[in-house]
Amino acid sequence: MTLKIKSRVRCSDRDVGEVTRVIIDAIGKSISHVVIQLDDSERVVPLDGDTVITEGLVQFGFPSSKMGQYPLLDRGNYQQVKEVEIAGLERHLEVFPGEVLVPVPTLERDITRRTFFTNFTNAIGVVLALPLVYPVLRFLTFPMYQGFDNRWIRIGNIGKITEADKPKLVKFQKTVKEGYLEREFQKSHWVVKISDALREEIYHGKSIEYKDSNGKVYWVNKPDNDVVVFSGKCPHLGCAYKWKENHKRFGRVFWCPCHLSIYDSGGKVLDGPAPRRLDVLPMRIAGTGEIEIIDAEFKAGKDNMIRII
Amino acid sequence: MSLINIIHNWIDERIDLKTLQAKMLNEPMPGGSSYAYAFGSALLFIFIMQATTGIFLMFYYAPTADHAWQSTQYILKELDYGWFILSFHFWGASAMVVMLVSHMLQVFIWGAYKKPREMVWLAGIVLFLIVMGFGFTGYLLPWDQRAFWGTTVGVEIMDKAPIVGDFLARFLRGGPTAGAQTLSRFFVIHVMILPAALVIMFSLHLFFFRKAGPAGPFKATAKELETKMEFFFPRQVFKDIVVMAGVFVVIAGLSVLSPVELLDEASPEPTDYNPEPEWYFLFLFQLLRLPMFSGQLGEFLGAIALPGLFIVLLMALPFINRNPERHPLKRPFAMSAVVLLMVSIVVLTWLAIASRSE
Ligand code: HEM
Ligand code: FES
Repeated sequence: MTLKIKSRVRCSDRDVGEVTRVIIDAIGKSISHVVIQLDDSERVVPLDGDTVITEGLVQFGFPSSKMGQYPLLDRGNYQQVKEVEIAGLERHLEVFPGEVLVPVPTLERDITRRTFFTNFTNAIGVVLALPLVYPVLRFLTFPMYQGFDNRWIRIGNIGKITEADKPKLVKFQKTVKEGYLEREFQKSHWVVKISDALREEIYHGKSIEYKDSNGKVYWVNKPDNDVVVFSGKCPHLGCAYKWKENHKRFGRVFWCPCHLSIYDSGGKVLDGPAPRRLDVLPMRIAGTGEIEIIDAEFKAGKDNMIRII
Repeated sequence: MSLINIIHNWIDERIDLKTLQAKMLNEPMPGGSSYAYAFGSALLFIFIMQATTGIFLMFYYAPTADHAWQSTQYILKELDYGWFILSFHFWGASAMVVMLVSHMLQVFIWGAYKKPREMVWLAGIVLFLIVMGFGFTGYLLPWDQRAFWGTTVGVEIMDKAPIVGDFLARFLRGGPTAGAQTLSRFFVIHVMILPAALVIMFSLHLFFFRKAGPAGPFKATAKELETKMEFFFPRQVFKDIVVMAGVFVVIAGLSVLSPVELLDEASPEPTDYNPEPEWYFLFLFQLLRLPMFSGQLGEFLGAIALPGLFIVLLMALPFINRNPERHPLKRPFAMSAVVLLMVSIVVLTWLAIASRSE
């Protein structure tokens, strides 16, 4: 039974007054007390197991003579319920003043009309948004895919690489246009003069073919070259690896500081998380002994070489 | 009547300001206020400080590959107190991560993610991802070697996601490799997209929190919850402010004692710099060094599957763990799991730091 304000209040012997306010327990989210207007005072009385609430009546189990032991209402100790944020109160409490209703406008009582307007509003949204999807996508993805750059870049003279199996870091300048910005920066790759053993390890007696995204071969590295150029980018996640003359476990190896992949001077993975051997770049030797490369880059983290630049 | 009163009353008459204020402050907290509940507010405070110092930095910072490093150098070396604003922003980022983890641990230990607070928790996870995104994108902006290499490796990780990975990584970088377009994109994400997302998600987080109500202490009788009940104002507000002041002093102190250092300008030629992410990502970095995560498949498992699974697990937590028991000692499995997780993270981070000199 829901409690109503203005309910009469009856003790075990007689009527004593009426309910003027109810008091809520903010944690329990239920009515804990009622405020009763007696002849001469307002008192706060707890609702307990003996209280019976019926339509328009609150019936206590105790006699009216006990009423005086309950405290007088001190309004300063209470806050109005609208001034306190009690989570989920509405769902927990059925108090005054019951349901308060507002009529739905006559024009909108027709369900099909309302559905029509809802659908129409959504349709307008779709019609406006749909043609924009493609242009926006193009706009945002424009620089993401670009053709490959097959320019030959000179990185140094083969005459400077004298000792076999001793990798040498060669640095070169590269100009790149990114959007409106043209920048020149330094890059580096590793050049190794290869012994016959390394030649066998790298080429297995066969040429290395480089294919573009359509599968067309754009260059072939022949096994008879005296040097090999390893891309400076670690095939694991793209850091720059280094050459170590005295790694404490493996001796003379390439070593990547990022996730500690180890490669021998022929690019073979000796240890660490790298998924494939070092990338051999497309190269040729010009008549003057200049080493020329196509500065391709391959996707890191894949078992095989997938060109991205 | 003072002028302020007159204005206040004028506004109150129109928008019922007093009720609004009262409602914000009069939130019954079962079992009363506690310093344990201050982490969320401290997070909000740090975010506000990050937004403020971030806006200051934008007065001088130029988000293009040919000027980002120079403008950062200018802020750091020439501008009056530029070093302090930048260092505050830098240390604030770390403080945010520390506070985020503390907040998550608190609500986890208190069992506050359980019914009816699942939505609060879910919005929280999204906030967690947003804060991680802030750290990741902000790392690139100084455009020094640390920035460039951290990002190069970080985005490469995204590429390992199946099907969408390549697209996502290219989308973030604005190209096949990290460069000028990457800086532009990270800048927009860092200063526009993520702040907007954070504000929206935080509003939802707080809305859900207020709708569900605070969880309160994990051990208390119904009677205690009621008798010790306090409103949010004034004691919880006071405790929140004390923690905020502490956080401020720590961040400011670190900024003075250890200001930001800018390395050489970003370049695809790292010279003698050894790439490394920000400290709170070090455990992931170290994870990828483990032999079990080697090779193409291993990399996918370590870089994508494992962290992805972790996030999914976090999201599913309130739905898997439906026992209403909130006392940590009565949830031995959940508690062991979180201890194991934290220990693993600390050990991995320590290993990463220990192997730096190798
Ligand atoms: C920017 C990030 C965040 C901000 C600013 C934030 C803010 C807050 C604030 C102000 C509260 C209210 C009181 C309290 O601190 O306990 C709160 C509660 C809560 N937050 Fe967050 N939060 C963030 C992230 C998170 C995350 C990452 C999670 C979990 C994955 C989370 C889960 C919760 C839960 C479950 C509660 C309810 C606590 C209770 O009822 O006692 N929040 N948050
Ligand atoms: S990037 Fe070289 S080992 Fe990971």
